[in-house]
Amino acid sequence: MLEEDLVHHLQMKKGDVGRYVLLPGDPGRCEAIANYFDDPQLVAYNREYKTYTGTLLGEKVSVTSTGIGCPSTAIAVEELVMLGADTFIRVGTSGGMQPYEKPGDLAIVTAAIRDEGTTLQYMPPEFPAVADVEVVTALREAAIKLDNPYHLGISQSKDSFYGQHQPERMPSANRLLDRWKAWKMGGAICSEMEASSIFILSSILRKRAGGIMLIVANQELDEPHRTVIRDLTDLIETSIEALRILIERDRQKA
Amino acid sequence: MREQDLQHHIQLRRGDVGRYVLLPGDPGRCDKIASYFDYPHLMAYNREYKTYTGTLLGEKVSVTSTGIGGPSAAIAVEELVAIGADTFIRVGTSGGIQPGTIPGEIAVVTAAIRDEGTSLHYLPVEFPAVADTDVVLAMIEGAKRAGMPYRVGISQTKDSYYGEVEPERMPIANQLIERWDAWVAGGAICSEMESAAIFIVSSIHHVRAGGVMLMSFSEDNTPQTEEEWQRFEEMFNIERVIQTAIEGLKVLIERDSKK
Repeated sequence: MLEEDLVHHLQMKKGDVGRYVLLPGDPGRCEAIANYFDDPQLVAYNREYKTYTGTLLGEKVSVTSTGIGCPSTAIAVEELVMLGADTFIRVGTSGGMQPYEKPGDLAIVTAAIRDEGTTLQYMPPEFPAVADVEVVTALREAAIKLDNPYHLGISQSKDSFYGQHQPERMPSANRLLDRWKAWKMGGAICSEMEASSIFILSSILRKRAGGIMLIVANQELDEPHRTVIRDLTDLIETSIEALRILIERDRQKA
Repeated sequence: MREQDLQHHIQLRRGDVGRYVLLPGDPGRCDKIASYFDYPHLMAYNREYKTYTGTLLGEKVSVTSTGIGGPSAAIAVEELVAIGADTFIRVGTSGGIQPGTIPGEIAVVTAAIRDEGTSLHYLPVEFPAVADTDVVLAMIEGAKRAGMPYRVGISQTKDSYYGEVEPERMPIANQLIERWDAWVAGGAICSEMESAAIFIVSSIHHVRAGGVMLMSFSEDNTPQTEEEWQRFEEMFNIERVIQTAIEGLKVLIERDSKK
């Protein structure tokens, strides 16, 4: 790939992104995240992929939306790595899975259930989709520092949103319900749609990845507690603080 | 089962073990590990399950051998949880996978490839076999304190030892070789036979687990000369991974006491 070549889907070239990239699903959230950068610039917006680049502590950082699901996310990670990115933090929303999780809590993801099709085109299913320990540690320290309630654990990365929310109307209802119960018994803390692909690709490409999710609602709670949280401020601030911690640590190592 | 009853296979009851348990595969290594405890006592030895309990930093700790493989390791974890253990550290030997692995380097295991049958009796294959973050961080610190070279990463947990070391003589040779190549491409750092079962059973019981493995050489680093073999024998010394695990366990005990 030549320096001036644009990558196919993200429509960016080398130099357009930093080594640190935040990955929300929704392009509509990129701007809110980029507002925490110094000197943020809109670099590209093609399909569901919107990218801003700016700086934090003088270090170039970016935010790129992945769109919903692992197929589009895998493309984003592949192309960001082509452009030189090496550290990814998924920043998104999720549903809670354990009765002790309250809407508004943060879920820091240590590993993901590969309940999706994309990563099977990379790696047999026995291989764990696991986050980088340094990224997980930075996210946890950021949550503690900002005094945001958090849980550390496994995420379910699924391909079907409505298969989770309305399983009973699916032809494979029994399988969906059985498996959901298994994930809960295994201790999974949140359900979302991208983390496993980010982790598997990062393992193969020898990059670092992690993820932090806002628990917007928890279907495992009784009706009166089933509130829905829409404010993403704590989520975004924690991810930005974690990036700062990582940047500082990386500088100390260098 | 009543509290005072002996667990079926490990032949221990509540009070016989601490909350922290080191898990080697080989019962022959329990004595060596227990020699690092204060006041070690042999608690039971039934089948492949040998247990010593003693203290470290004044905290009750145990070592229980699991035998080789996921089936016997899962039984050990189930029964240890039933009598109150909540933190498991696998201590063992493994093959090095990534090019450039130094003989005797320590693998701090973050997650495991579920290339085995036992954990499928618990959870579908897509569920990750993952270590507890605090145990991983303590083991990294333990390796530093013990002065051991280490790397952090994923372990392949297999059911067939000879399927890994002599795949070409197996009827499913092609599948074994192709999958091995995938694990290498994915960045797996070591190959052993128990971690996945220990991690999955621990996830279900909401208890903590992790592991440190002594790695032999990777294929590209096979010793050639007599001197190199001698050096390998020195480095591939089980005491090195035991010291790492003991130091890591002390770190964990210190950090838990501050919480």
